[in-house]
Amino acid sequence: MGRALSLAGLAALAGFAALPWLTTSTYLVAFFLSVFIAAVLAQSYDWVGGHMGYLNLGHASFFGIGAYASGILLKGGQPLGLALAIGVALAMAFALAISYPFFRLRAAYFALATFGLVAFLELLASNLSRLTGGSEGLTIPTGYRLYHAYYAALGLLALLVAGTAALARSRFGLALVAIREDEEVAGAFGVNAYAVKCLALVASAGVAGLAGGLYCWYLTYIIPSTVFGLDVAIGPVVMAMLGGSGTVAGPLLGALVVDVLQEVLRLKTQYLALTIYGAILVLVGLFLPGGLAAPHRWRRLATLAGRLRA
Amino acid sequence: MQTFLQLLIGGVLQGGIYALGAFGLSIIFGVLRVLNVAHGDFLMLGGMLTYWLYTSFGLPPYVALLVVFPVFFLGGLLVERVLIRPIAGMPHHEFLVASILITLGISLAIEDVTAFSLTQPVKGIDYLLPPLRFGGLVVSSLRLILLGIIVGLTVAIHVFLQRTFTGKALRALMEDREGALLVGIDTRTAATVAFGLGTALTATAGVFFVTLIPVDPHIGIPLTLKYLAIIVLGGVGHLPGALAGSLVLGLSESIVSFYVGAEWSLTVAFVILIAILLLRPRGLLG
Repeated sequence: MGRALSLAGLAALAGFAALPWLTTSTYLVAFFLSVFIAAVLAQSYDWVGGHMGYLNLGHASFFGIGAYASGILLKGGQPLGLALAIGVALAMAFALAISYPFFRLRAAYFALATFGLVAFLELLASNLSRLTGGSEGLTIPTGYRLYHAYYAALGLLALLVAGTAALARSRFGLALVAIREDEEVAGAFGVNAYAVKCLALVASAGVAGLAGGLYCWYLTYIIPSTVFGLDVAIGPVVMAMLGGSGTVAGPLLGALVVDVLQEVLRLKTQYLALTIYGAILVLVGLFLPGGLAAPHRWRRLATLAGRLRA
Repeated sequence: MQTFLQLLIGGVLQGGIYALGAFGLSIIFGVLRVLNVAHGDFLMLGGMLTYWLYTSFGLPPYVALLVVFPVFFLGGLLVERVLIRPIAGMPHHEFLVASILITLGISLAIEDVTAFSLTQPVKGIDYLLPPLRFGGLVVSSLRLILLGIIVGLTVAIHVFLQRTFTGKALRALMEDREGALLVGIDTRTAATVAFGLGTALTATAGVFFVTLIPVDPHIGIPLTLKYLAIIVLGGVGHLPGALAGSLVLGLSESIVSFYVGAEWSLTVAFVILIAILLLRPRGLLG
């Protein structure tokens, strides 16, 4: 990240940290809390999906495992720290377990298989109702925790962004990019591709698992589609792509844009909000797959606008 | 034993219905390398059109086929021409990403518009013909007719791919893209035809679907997931594999729903899928 971007990031962090004192609107605080969670998911997804170039459509599976594991422990009266830690550990263990079969697949095949994974876990969460509450949902002891959750999510996001910025400059970050560009060549230059891929997936799973546990603790009630739903699975991918995959700022920008857009559509349009969202996805796919943070992409739009005017 | 035979027959029929859509997805993916997330939604639309033809004009489902196939063939051509071709020149990873965004957008829009425009969202056709009995075995004659049509269509696709020039071009593109380009195959036309054909096939599966299981606007994405599982199972761009994958899924769903519970059928499909990935990462027959 450039110096200007780092400063902008610190200013944004200070602004968001002060937000609960500046406004009495719990709506706004809750909204930004959900943006932070979305940004954490988009950023951690992007390690594997953007930097490493493996289109992981199953990132929500780690989020959901973290949420359910922590939720079940919290329901059983365990302390928050322990519940979150076990949620993270389980999400990472799951990532480790699937990394062997799934990393035998490349490109679209990998995307296909991970897409199925989320649906599989959603079914599992609905069917194992004695453990998860099934479609009735999992309820944990409640309490007023909006502000605690807000700061926890903001802190997690800040750490994650700093970590991603460091990652992008590290040897490990370079190895990820090398795998994205050409896995065989990366291997020939001494990158242990399997180990790097595995580590990236497990690390991103740990972050998503923590976000899941936190989210469950905040909501106090989850059903399978809260954490394994299609929107949760696709959300991080869309956000990263819209903002700019493989950059530090891209997924954050994408999360903000997508969440604001969805909120506006939800509030302002009675009908067909999903259709408009779908149309926007199509437009992004057609014109901006490199994301808002990739300026040269705007040329496609400019040429198109020029052609329309002519 | 008889229960088991009934389950086998039900599973084979379900597998046959899956196979039509799976061929479609396999051809689309094989030729265009597009992961078509909207595939299940075209099946749903095919079912809806069949329902409408049945209730408004009294067309029986197997006649509705003659309308559904060409309508969706043209629809598929149009989608490819307008929304897929513009991204065809993108670099590999970007193309994959863009194709998923675009087809997902199409899928969401189709689901939302369909749900919005129907007052009563669940549509099913009670189209019953007298059942056939073989000893103690009861077989629905409608299902037999459908199975016959499915087999006929499968053979027709096979002949099309093996004998006609366009079919050979599609196969060449599925097997070796660069090689196909080298011998001068027009990839653009082939891509358009493949998308049209794939869409028409899944819509045709919708015709059979609506006569057996009620169709509602939200079945699209779950169906797409099943289709994706099937073609990974069978090996992508490989039609006999898609057929095998469909039968495995149809049979396992039918047997597991009966002995374990209907809510577990899809779970088992994914367990099989992951097992296959572990043992044979190129698919069942690949």
